[in-house]
Amino acid sequence: MSAPSLIKFAAKRPWLIKLLTPVANWYANAAGYRQMGLLADDLISEENETVLKALSRLPPDVTYDRIYRIRRATQLSLQHKILPKSEWVKPEEDVPYLAPLIAQIEAEEAEKAALDTLAPIRKH
Amino acid sequence: MISRSALSRGSQLALRSRSAAKVAQRGFAAASEKASYNPTTVAGVKVASRDDHGPTTRLAVIAKAGTRYEPLPGLTVGLEEFAFKNTEKRSALRITRESELLGAQLSAYHTREALILQANFLREDLPYFAELLAEVISKTQYTTHEFLEEVEDVIHLKQSKVDNAAVALDAAHSVAFHKGLGAPLYPTPETPVSSYLNEGNVGAFAYAAYTKSNIAVVADGASEAGLSKWVESFFKAVPTESQESIFSNTSKYHGGETRISRNGSNAVVIGFNGASLGENKPEIAVLAGLLGGESGIKWSPGFSLLSKATSGVPGVHAHAANFAYSDAGLFTIQISGGSALGVRKVAEEAVKAIKSVADGSIPQEDVVKAVAKARFNLLALSETSGAGLVHAGANLISGGQPLVVSDRLKALESVNGDKLKAAAKTLLEGKASVASVGDLFVLPYAEDLGLKV
Repeated sequence: MSAPSLIKFAAKRPWLIKLLTPVANWYANAAGYRQMGLLADDLISEENETVLKALSRLPPDVTYDRIYRIRRATQLSLQHKILPKSEWVKPEEDVPYLAPLIAQIEAEEAEKAALDTLAPIRKH
Repeated sequence: MISRSALSRGSQLALRSRSAAKVAQRGFAAASEKASYNPTTVAGVKVASRDDHGPTTRLAVIAKAGTRYEPLPGLTVGLEEFAFKNTEKRSALRITRESELLGAQLSAYHTREALILQANFLREDLPYFAELLAEVISKTQYTTHEFLEEVEDVIHLKQSKVDNAAVALDAAHSVAFHKGLGAPLYPTPETPVSSYLNEGNVGAFAYAAYTKSNIAVVADGASEAGLSKWVESFFKAVPTESQESIFSNTSKYHGGETRISRNGSNAVVIGFNGASLGENKPEIAVLAGLLGGESGIKWSPGFSLLSKATSGVPGVHAHAANFAYSDAGLFTIQISGGSALGVRKVAEEAVKAIKSVADGSIPQEDVVKAVAKARFNLLALSETSGAGLVHAGANLISGGQPLVVSDRLKALESVNGDKLKAAAKTLLEGKASVASVGDLFVLPYAEDLGLKV
């Protein structure tokens, strides 16, 4: 599953977006994953079918980069260190690469469930 | 002593049967008129239709994307498996479920020249399926995950089912025509296609192949007015031409021999320069009927020369067919079976049989039977919706006209023993294309069979 998000609720209310964007940016920086060289999508839990399927659909180079980031972060965590400031992930680099795939798979599943429970209405 | 009443009864019967024959003839002529497809062009797309006012319709998009036109090996089968997958408008699952709800069948298959996307459905659903086929050819997404999760596995599965008879037929085509028509109909697991076959190349091939000039829409059981209306509105999105190009060459008959060592059953294919689609060579069709192979009647090998040859060899099948393509043809005798010795024996008999036709030692009666068989084959082909549909489409995309059955029938009736003899002689004088697959220790060389290669 993708990370819980209020984005759909907020997207309908431009004033709320305007209000929350600085708070969200502050939160993302304060969470500390960018200092470990991770992207937000690296934090999504892998332990479910949907995410595993989404991971299998990533292009090989993206998968390689993801593994590299996670291993580097694990190493940093063991050493109780963070990256030098020049190597921190910049906010503009922190783009969702996995969430769109998860959304796509969830949409597929939802469509399948909807089609499996169809009740045809006879015309005659 | 014959009673008066019995006599008159007999003559009555004879009279009745003659009038019955007349009625049958009339019906037959009408049927052959109905059986031809009516070609037109709608909004730049070649369309052919025939309508027998039945409750079901078969609608097919026939594209010039068969194995002879693939720019890289394996792309035709890739394109075939990508048919009815996710499009920009709806998912593969939705396509499947919606057609299930309408009680329709969707299928995609290919020949050496054409790729056929076909939908069989109830007559009133024509708009839905016209839209679906147009969408499939112009808006399929060719995504990586579908290729890896669904398409590739199916291709591997089908590859593993390619039997030695099919390999032999492909090999015979390959020695006969080299590139183009010589490309295998389905690559075997040993064929190195994995470096060419990916969703990007398939998508590029689709872009090249699914253009207005490259496709024909053929309908069997749809009214011409309805078809042209829906084709006009839905096939607008199909590009008129594209920058990508398909592989195309003019076929030239080379001939030769090839031998492939493979486990499993044994197969020998003997090929000759045959008749192409447009060519009116009735004697080739009659020769195929005379050599035959499959018995038309129960509990008897029948009159055909090949079935006589196989009758003493259990488990070995042989049959003759002319594979007609737009610019070339391959007349083949295909022999396959479990026992290599049996296949060898039948191959020798088959060559003897065709030589006996060239000698003119075939009784007149058999020639009459062969002409009747050829007439039946032609009419059955044009009537059977599947084969007739593909045939009509293949003619259209190669720039020809759909076959006019009545003309071909007349030509068939003119074939006699002398013409047949001359045709068989020409075949034997030309170079043969011989392919042997299986146990090469036993299977014969073309020279041993007495063929020129």
